[in-house]
Amino acid sequence: MDFLFGSRSSKTFKPKKNIPEGTHQYDLMKHAAATLGSGNLRNAVALPDGEDLNEWVAVNTVDFFNQINMLYGTITEFCTEETCGIMSAGPKYEYHWADGLTVKKPIKCSAPKYIDYLMTWVQDQLDDETLFPSKIGVPFPKNFHSSAKTILKRLFRVYAHIYHQHFTEVVTLGEEAHLNTSFKHFIFFVQEFNLIERRELAPLQELIDKLTAKDERQI
Amino acid sequence: MMSSRTQDADGASIRFSDHTLDKATKAKVTLENYYSNLVTQYGERKQRLAKLEAQLKDESLSEAQRQEKRLQHAQKETEYLRLKRLRLGVEDFEALKVIGRGAFGEVRLVQKKDTGHVYAMKVLRKADMLEKEQVAHVRAERDVLVEADHQWVVKMYYSFQDPVNLYLIMEFLPGGDMMTLLMKKDTLSEEGTQFYISETALAIDSIHKLGFIHRDIKPDNLLLDARGHLKLSDFGLCTGLKKSHRTDFYRDLSQAKPSDFIGTCASLSCSPMDSKRRAESWKRNRRALAYSTVGTPDYIAPEVFLQTGYGPACDWWSLGVIMYEMLMGYPPFCSDNPQDTYRKVMNWRETLIFPPEIPISEEAKETIINFCCEADRRLGSQRGLEDLKSVPFFRGVDWEHIRERPAAIPVEVRSIDDTSNFDEFPDVSLEIPSAPIPQGGEIAKDWVFINYTYKRFEVRNLE
Repeated sequence: MDFLFGSRSSKTFKPKKNIPEGTHQYDLMKHAAATLGSGNLRNAVALPDGEDLNEWVAVNTVDFFNQINMLYGTITEFCTEETCGIMSAGPKYEYHWADGLTVKKPIKCSAPKYIDYLMTWVQDQLDDETLFPSKIGVPFPKNFHSSAKTILKRLFRVYAHIYHQHFTEVVTLGEEAHLNTSFKHFIFFVQEFNLIERRELAPLQELIDKLTAKDERQI
Repeated sequence: MMSSRTQDADGASIRFSDHTLDKATKAKVTLENYYSNLVTQYGERKQRLAKLEAQLKDESLSEAQRQEKRLQHAQKETEYLRLKRLRLGVEDFEALKVIGRGAFGEVRLVQKKDTGHVYAMKVLRKADMLEKEQVAHVRAERDVLVEADHQWVVKMYYSFQDPVNLYLIMEFLPGGDMMTLLMKKDTLSEEGTQFYISETALAIDSIHKLGFIHRDIKPDNLLLDARGHLKLSDFGLCTGLKKSHRTDFYRDLSQAKPSDFIGTCASLSCSPMDSKRRAESWKRNRRALAYSTVGTPDYIAPEVFLQTGYGPACDWWSLGVIMYEMLMGYPPFCSDNPQDTYRKVMNWRETLIFPPEIPISEEAKETIINFCCEADRRLGSQRGLEDLKSVPFFRGVDWEHIRERPAAIPVEVRSIDDTSNFDEFPDVSLEIPSAPIPQGGEIAKDWVFINYTYKRFEVRNLE
């Protein structure tokens, strides 16, 4: 696969300007501390001694896909064409879908439709034996790293949409500690290996700063 | 993505459908297990590396040789990571034969298509198991037990699920189970009994040391490997599911003596046919009993049915019942129905009787009585295995090396997939009953099922 990374990014990621922040930000911060007490996640994301970097990135990418898919699955009742007519992460950010293959020009669509396209696309990537080889001994392709970056960048958008638009439902379902832990793990992982550009993380920067403030690498 | 488009009538409060609540519970349990396992696996990986480094220091190796071993170890860890992200499914295995049937599913001999390795696959129907929300809890417990000492516990390599079933991929033990052995032999000698009871005791002790109670020790759950040595199986997954294993089943019964209670020989004329008839009746019904979802409380300690709670001692009681069955040909409290068995269990002081026509040594009799008595006085309840080591019946047992010595009864196995020590199950379909593919609409995207996946490090060592 050949990704026109730079040009696609400018087309699918469109920050809006001069729109005031909503009250969701306050709700996010109020519950940001809740996690599952899962030990030091910064240690957990570090590449183990002697491990192959691509294999480590691959197994974690699969895990994050499963987690965010499961978490989003719990609020699909409330993420509808009516409530989320556009894929957004707060009032300043919205995303349009394009995968560069079947959909070359970014299309504006509802959040449930966008996320369905996204999850299906990620699943297709994970099922692609040339990209994520399953047989022992088959090496990863040269473009694996950039492909993984694209996958993780897009998965981040699902976290961003959930936090900004559906956090009330998450809290009411008692899932905020689970979402926070998964997201914190995700952020530590992408930071460790520089897998998502900082500007892509902007919709949740305050939350990221708060969640990641305490954990430092332990020797 | 499947989504139910429910419109909120009341904007001030959120109403959740049952479907959403179910998914939320599943997501929470799965994530809790994931992060618990993350910490565990992180520690285990460090431990494996530390163990390797310790080995390398002891051996007189050149630095080049040490580096080679480090690379080999790292490659194994990488292969394990790759294995972890694969989605295993029923289609990865070929079913060769049905070798067992339980109350909630069957066991098949299967071969993994890509490696050719032979395993035992246990298929459990979700609909018959605990509520779905608890499947992960049950599975988490099981995953912990998978770390038990594999001298004494059946090794589980993989677990996965689909919408209909749970699948457990275990090592195949070609020797069959103790129930089948007893059905062939009727009774065992005291030497044979000593051997199997000693090995079962070591197995029970090993899981008690991990903080677990098996709670379902019985001959069907004692498996024999290719060398005739014993391993425990079936931890926790089906515990308490059979109706007769739960207190509720007996709520309306008094503990009055059972209707077929025969009292002592002094009060009735005992004929040699009585114990023989009981043994034959037990044997005739044994297979059906194992498959029944009603089951029997024959092996369950009395305190399990009381409101007072129970502890590890209940497993030692079960061992005493098995010991009696090995020597007598039937368990001490067997009856025509579970209610009468229950009454006998609860009145064990009067109903635990040794028929005079069957020879048994005083040492063996005393040992059984010491296993089947009050929980706080029971053999094994104080210091576990140490209690047994000083008992005359176990004189001569080489507790440290019993597994390396020849077994009491050799197992004849002609090939790696020999199933001659198992019954035939012509009425069970060889084809694995799995979820039908939905018609018409889009196929459900059940991406989360690999979160129930378990894979054992070292599986590649089989090659």
